[in-house]
Order: sequence, then C-alpha cells, then structure tokens
Amino acid sequence: MNGTPSVDSPNDEVLMLAVENGDARKLAVLFDRHHRVLFHFYLRLTGDRDASEDLVQDVFFRMLKYRQTYRPGMDFATWMYRIARNARTDYFRKRSREVALEEGWDAAGDADAAPGRGLEARQEAAMLRRALAKLPEEKREVLVLSRFQNLRYEQIGELLGCDVGAVKVRVYRALRELREIYSQISGRKAS
Amino acid sequence: MKCEQAREQLPDYLADGLDPEERSELEEHFAGCASCREEAAAWTRLGELTAEEPSPALRARFEAMLEAYEEGLGRRAREQRTSGGSAVPGWLRGWWPQRPALQFACSVGFLIVGLGAGHLLTARGAADGQLSQLREEVHNMREMVALSLMQQQSASERLRGVNWSYRVDRPDSEVLAALLRTVKYDPSVDVRLAAADALRQFSQYPAVRQGLVEALGRQKSPLVQIALIDLLVDIRDRRAAGALRQLGADTSLEYVVRERVEQGLEKLGMGEKSWAR
Repeated sequence: MNGTPSVDSPNDEVLMLAVENGDARKLAVLFDRHHRVLFHFYLRLTGDRDASEDLVQDVFFRMLKYRQTYRPGMDFATWMYRIARNARTDYFRKRSREVALEEGWDAAGDADAAPGRGLEARQEAAMLRRALAKLPEEKREVLVLSRFQNLRYEQIGELLGCDVGAVKVRVYRALRELREIYSQISGRKAS
Repeated sequence: MKCEQAREQLPDYLADGLDPEERSELEEHFAGCASCREEAAAWTRLGELTAEEPSPALRARFEAMLEAYEEGLGRRAREQRTSGGSAVPGWLRGWWPQRPALQFACSVGFLIVGLGAGHLLTARGAADGQLSQLREEVHNMREMVALSLMQQQSASERLRGVNWSYRVDRPDSEVLAALLRTVKYDPSVDVRLAAADALRQFSQYPAVRQGLVEALGRQKSPLVQIALIDLLVDIRDRRAAGALRQLGADTSLEYVVRERVEQGLEKLGMGEKSWAR
C-alpha cells in the first residue's frame, strides 16, 4: 500500500536532494516516475484534462522553485502531494471553482469506453464516475488519495493535518457516501 | 461481529492492514451483511476505474521548462561572474567578509537570527508571506514557460507558448517582446494569429500598440491582416488610421482585407470621405 515508487536506486528522496543541491536534471527522473500518477490524481479530482496537464507542469516547476523546502528524511510523496494540493488551490482560485468537473468527467471516462470492456461494466464505471463527481470535494480527495494514489493513511494524515484515526473515519465516511450516491444513480436502494 | 465493529475495521481491511484472523472474521461478517459488503465492493469497483493517459505534449513542456530553468541558472551564474559578485549589494560589500569560511559563518548567523525572527512572527503573517511568494513564483514560471515554448521548433509548441502567455498577469518586457516577435515573424499563420489574439489583453502597453502597428505593415496573410485590423480598431490606437490607410494603398491587397480596412476606418470615424481627402 505504500505509495512511494519501488525503491530503485537512487530513490526519490536521494534524487530530490540532488535537485536541491543544483542538479536540476535529476528532476527529469522524478518526472518519469510521478507525472502519470499526478496527472491521474488531478484528472480524477477535476475531470479536466487540460487543467490536469497544466497542474502537473506546475507541480514540477514548484519542485524546482521550492527545492530548498525539501529536507533530508522527508517523505517525498507527502511533500509532492502537498505541493500538488497547493497548486490546485491556486489554480482554481483563479478559475471559477469546479465548473468543469461534471462536464469534463465524461472525457475522463473515455478509457472505460474501450471496446474490449463489456457494456455493463462500462455503464457501471460511468455511474461510479458520476457518483465520485457528485461527492463533496474533500471526500473525493480522501478517496482518490487512498484508493488511487495508494498513499498510506499516515501519509494522508500528514497531508491533511490530522491523525491516522481521523483519516480512517474520513475514508469510511467518504466511501459510505459514495455508495449511497452510486445506489441512487444506479436506481438501487442503499441498504 | 457487529456492523459497528466491521465499519471500524473496514479502512484497515481496505488498506490491507488487518492480520489474517481479523480479516477472515470481517469477511465472515460481509457474508451475512449486505450493507457492509456493499461498502467493501464500492472500494473494489473504484479500483477498477481506469484513467486516461497524459498527452505526449506534457513531457515536451516539462523538458522545455527544465531547459529554460537550466539556461536561466547558467545565465545567472555568468552574470554573477562578470559583475564580480554583484549578488552582494554595494553597501554590504564594504564589510562582507572575503573569506568563504567567514562568509559561511555570517550566513549561519543570519540564518539563526532569521529563524528567531520567524518564530516571533505570527503564523498569519508567515502564511501571507508564503502566499505572496508563491504567487510570485507561479508568475515567473508562467513567463518562463511561455518564453521557452515560443522558441520551440514545432509550431504547435509555439502555439502553446502563446497560449501560456494568457496566464501571465503582468508580463515583463521579455514576454511582450516575444509575443510581438511571434506576431511579426513566426512562419506559421496559426501561431501569428494566436499571438495577435494574445496581445489584445496587453494592448494597454505602449510597446504593444507600437508593435501591432508595425506588424500590420509586414503582414502578408489576409487572416492575420484582418485580425490585426480588428485589434487596432478596437483598441483605438491613434496610429491605427494611418496604418490602415497605408495598408489600403497596397494595390495587391485581397478584397476581403480591403473591405475590412474600409470598415475599420469608418469605425474610427475616418470613413471613405475623410479618407479620400
């Protein structure tokens, strides 16, 4: 469940320290490792492809500019997601918040429309996406972080500024609400 | 096991954090409880959602940004070398120690003083400071990305660069010059058109107005000519009428463009009659 990438040599922490010490090229390795996962993070939160790409670019730029805030021993993934969340807040402060979410969500679901998948599975996926989009943002975020980004509860807690117990409660509540919305959309009564 | 207990354990179950015994107990509960089972199932279904991949342009933009950054670092280093350490302001240079060890000691001293002062500041003040710093960084980033993209080989990348310029609130002269260069000299009509549109937002800058007038004079593409005519008429620059007349005097001008010139002059209150004088 650990969200940090497999500990190849050198690991993310070592690379980031090298970037901090002036070897900006090492950021390209970190980009290779994390840009997809960050893109998916944003796409799942916003449903907006263009915004997601802009935000990924922004995160890596901020890593360069704020490299001095990275300290030895810090968990790289937590640091990266902290930057990612700040970038998102700034981005949507400028644009009207969340407008694109529901309209853009279908586009985010395109991957499910792959011909290889059965019709029922595709419909289910589309409904689940809709349910996820209807979830209040902070609940959606905690689900995305825990389910898709594979962050440990400790990492999420550090990111959201709460303890592990509180993260578990949030995950549980978000999941429960998601299931309720999903049941409504799919016409099945939540039991 | 009761539902309440199951719900407490569910997040750990989902995160693979239960020992085998707890796990099988919980799964036993799922077998008899549809509600808890559904919650676990929602988690599983969620995991099956796929996502699109980013476009290849994302990497190209990252590479352009990194290159621009490294270039910027190199330039700064060169500037510092040629100016003989002008990073230290003149009034400081007098007593700033020349020996690296002493410089280091001074720096550590400042750091300690800074940290102490930081502690004394209110959290609010610090947050505001950080925020404004953040804004400044993002501002610089946008400029840098726009600039580096406008220098790319591929027209689509240059187009992206032009579009990036929309995100710059207060462009420095370098960005404005790059946009003007693009509108005048870019080989791609699409890119020139986009640059003309992008410059509209910066039309309050005198250099931009001047540049747009010059660009109209050089333009051969009817599309770009029309875009520039519209822009100059809309911003009501005092040189617009002159530039339009000059263009109208070109006998090889396309009919649609000539029409636009006439409409433009009319809008500027310099219609056919006054023009004919």
